[in-house]
Amino acid sequence: MLESLFRNLPKVLKYVFLALTISILLMFTQSAFAKKEYEIGVFLLVSIIVIAITYLTTFSIPLKFFLPGILFLTAFVIGPILYTVVMSTYQYQTGNYISKDQSIERVQMLGIAPDEANTTFDVVVGKYNNQIAVLASDSINQRYLLSTSTEKIELSPSLVTVDENGVATKVNDFTPATGDEIVQLDFEISSTRFKYEGDYFIMLEGSSVGAVARQVLDYVKSADKFINLVDGTEYVDNGRGNYANTDNLEDVLQPGWRSPIWFSHYIDLVKDESVRNPLFTVFIWTVVFAFLTVLTQFALGLLVAMAMNKPIKGRRVYRSIFILPYAIPSIMSILVWGGMFNTEFGAINALLGTEIAWFQNATFARVAVILVNLWLGFPYFYLITSGAMQAIPSELSEAAAIDGASPRQVFARITLPLLLKIVTPLLIASFAFNFNNFNLIFLLTGGGPRNELDGQIAGATDILISYTYKIAFGSNVQDLGLASAISVIIFIIIASISLFGVRKSKVLDSFS
Amino acid sequence: MQKKLLAKSVAASLVLALVAGLNTVPAQAVDKELVVWADENRGPNLTKVFAAKGDWVSGYKITVRSFSSFDALKEAVDKATDLTGPDIIVGANDWVPTGAKNGKLAPITLPASVRARFTPNNFFDLSYKGKLYGVPLDINNVAMVYNEELVRNAPKTLGEMVNYYKANKTKKNLAAGLCIAGGGTSWGAHSVLSALGGSAYRMKNGAVDTSKPPINPAELAKNIKTYLLDANGKSNGFFPATDTGCKDNYLAGKVPFAIIGNWEWLDYMDKGFQMNLMPVPGVRAGTFGTMFGSVSGAMLTSYAKKRGVEAGAKDLLTNFFASTAGATAYQAIELRPPAEKGAQSKVEFTAQQNFGKAASRAGIPQIGAILNGTTGSKSYWDLLPAFWTAVLVNGRDPQTEARKMNEFFVKNIAAGVKDL
Repeated sequence: MLESLFRNLPKVLKYVFLALTISILLMFTQSAFAKKEYEIGVFLLVSIIVIAITYLTTFSIPLKFFLPGILFLTAFVIGPILYTVVMSTYQYQTGNYISKDQSIERVQMLGIAPDEANTTFDVVVGKYNNQIAVLASDSINQRYLLSTSTEKIELSPSLVTVDENGVATKVNDFTPATGDEIVQLDFEISSTRFKYEGDYFIMLEGSSVGAVARQVLDYVKSADKFINLVDGTEYVDNGRGNYANTDNLEDVLQPGWRSPIWFSHYIDLVKDESVRNPLFTVFIWTVVFAFLTVLTQFALGLLVAMAMNKPIKGRRVYRSIFILPYAIPSIMSILVWGGMFNTEFGAINALLGTEIAWFQNATFARVAVILVNLWLGFPYFYLITSGAMQAIPSELSEAAAIDGASPRQVFARITLPLLLKIVTPLLIASFAFNFNNFNLIFLLTGGGPRNELDGQIAGATDILISYTYKIAFGSNVQDLGLASAISVIIFIIIASISLFGVRKSKVLDSFS
Repeated sequence: MQKKLLAKSVAASLVLALVAGLNTVPAQAVDKELVVWADENRGPNLTKVFAAKGDWVSGYKITVRSFSSFDALKEAVDKATDLTGPDIIVGANDWVPTGAKNGKLAPITLPASVRARFTPNNFFDLSYKGKLYGVPLDINNVAMVYNEELVRNAPKTLGEMVNYYKANKTKKNLAAGLCIAGGGTSWGAHSVLSALGGSAYRMKNGAVDTSKPPINPAELAKNIKTYLLDANGKSNGFFPATDTGCKDNYLAGKVPFAIIGNWEWLDYMDKGFQMNLMPVPGVRAGTFGTMFGSVSGAMLTSYAKKRGVEAGAKDLLTNFFASTAGATAYQAIELRPPAEKGAQSKVEFTAQQNFGKAASRAGIPQIGAILNGTTGSKSYWDLLPAFWTAVLVNGRDPQTEARKMNEFFVKNIAAGVKDL
């Protein structure tokens, strides 16, 4: 028995693990459907089915190994990319977050206006003729009325029983609701419009206050438009997620909704000067930043590697020190450097004896960004180039030296070309990484400086990704649709660079 | 074959058993619950108050969800949906325009008796397009303190402060004359802009005065040159363009005057500093720079109706947040100046009272519809820090920069007043 159990233990463990995994995924699925996140729910359901088929059958042995990776890739890489692409075709910004149905509902709710006198009543909620009713009191003017959704009865003060504040609490045929009943009737009493005068009604503001109001904006479902019942203004769907005044398209009703606008954001990137000009400037700086970063980091890393390649005293200690910037979490380093570049209190100005406003001046800010990134990145290239130099046969440089080549010629004609051949894919990868180096820019300069007073939208050190972040989340007006469109462009650029890097390194050859 | 079948049956049973176990939904103990979202300070304090007395709205259980930070709360609010959102959000007044535009907040009509518990200015902050979205909770304002070991008497003019700084800069190793410790170089520095003759907007009879521009570039430039710049056009060091290190420097006795926020006065009192709070003196004796007196609010969400608790949520707003008893109980822990008048009269701490006095001497309402406005492509929050940098750091001509800033302000005022 025991022997049999041990023999089957791997299988038992497998099924237990599988059962646990599927159970957790089912729980997530249920939660996703409950929260109406149907796409996520369907994905999880499909994942469960695929997992069950893969691991409970012998359908495909390789798939047993690849499936976790495929699922994670789909969930966390392909899914977000597709979502971003889809969102880039939507009007998805502050004021346009919700669905059209929700928008109509909210506009109707906001389309209720109080009367000019802002009349309010103290009310007691209850029932009259089996209908929800309110017994309303204007204790100052001693006016009392009983109102349901269909009728309003003015009451003589002599007919009502009032409390010490002059608020009516009882009248014949009206049954006040108990506290528990009010709690249970919350939605009904909040939604009911109790009849008042003309087109005005009493709506409840809590369980004991009623405010006089009327519906000003009315939705006409058949024509999909809103009509202002007071002045007759019509608001129609403007195709960009809002109902707009037909006589003045700038006058839109809020909130709007997420509306498909297809390629409008991409067209704006090309045609709209306020979008195109800052984007172009940021793109140029992004390329320059990534290029200078790679160039300086590689140059310094190589220089240090060459120096450390010589038999000097204390080489191990120096090597350890040079690795330190790489070992310290970059976030900490960036924040420390940020403090060191502070104009008033920073160590840099103190050491140089200057009062340079590093982060308020565009040129100095860019220099600071490059310097900090050099500090953060050169150890990586030091390590890479150190290793790569070991791989270059020493016979080549020895032969060249025998043939009369100077050390500089050996470096320029032999070492560097061979080194570049080895590290080029890494240089390309580093370029792609720095193209999206959000942390450095965000933490060090916040993309600044930018001269708001001159109308600048992008900061001097903003790179594409930090600029996109600002568009998406950086101000009171968030334009997630436009940010998604820029993200798609960045994705295409990075994907192209990465593909070029992969081809250059012939990585794919091993698969072909 | 039988063994395989057995194993698969066992696996299927296990799956079903675990699914049944994990997916069992706990019985709903409470049907009607009012959910309040607040940040890491207000949330725990509200929880304490509701734990001590939970029957502010009978029949409803009040649940407070505290977020780890103000930003985390804002992010959660941004992501809230009909299914996940709260009934009441305790947050910043400048969330109102965005929350209203996005359909997250719902309007509320307060009876005159409840409105009378607050000063009318308090409602500016929580209104958008003529509708009120919440009730004022506590007042956020800044005021100037002076170090009595350095300066014996309260200054009467800005010039007096500048003269003190110039005379003692080297002798007492002063890092600055006046700096912003609380509220940053936009919100906190409005009183400096105003003391120098400018403003984000001008108020007249309780309304925004659109008849004249908020800044007279020539006057502002003249005052900046007189008080903040040297003869060579560079900053004289009296007023730094950034707020970095201000608090530490003031506490270290290196700055005679500092603008501090009413949420941090305990830090100063703990170090033995007096809360001799006052508005920033203007260029003429008897005038003061106006400072924003904003309120944080308890805001009604549109989710309350979806969840069938709108009446309860509105009752909580009036019975607790807008009541003397509720505001007093809450502010006894939160220690901010309450917006509710009855609770204000019960404030025990001198510092809280003095912040209130400073605000009543030179406070203007913080109108998000104008300040957040970007009709001119830039909001006040970006423009004023940029102005200080341009003039005090980059040495640009104050009048030219003031003119640019004024143009943006005028556009934002014109657009903003339409949303009031």
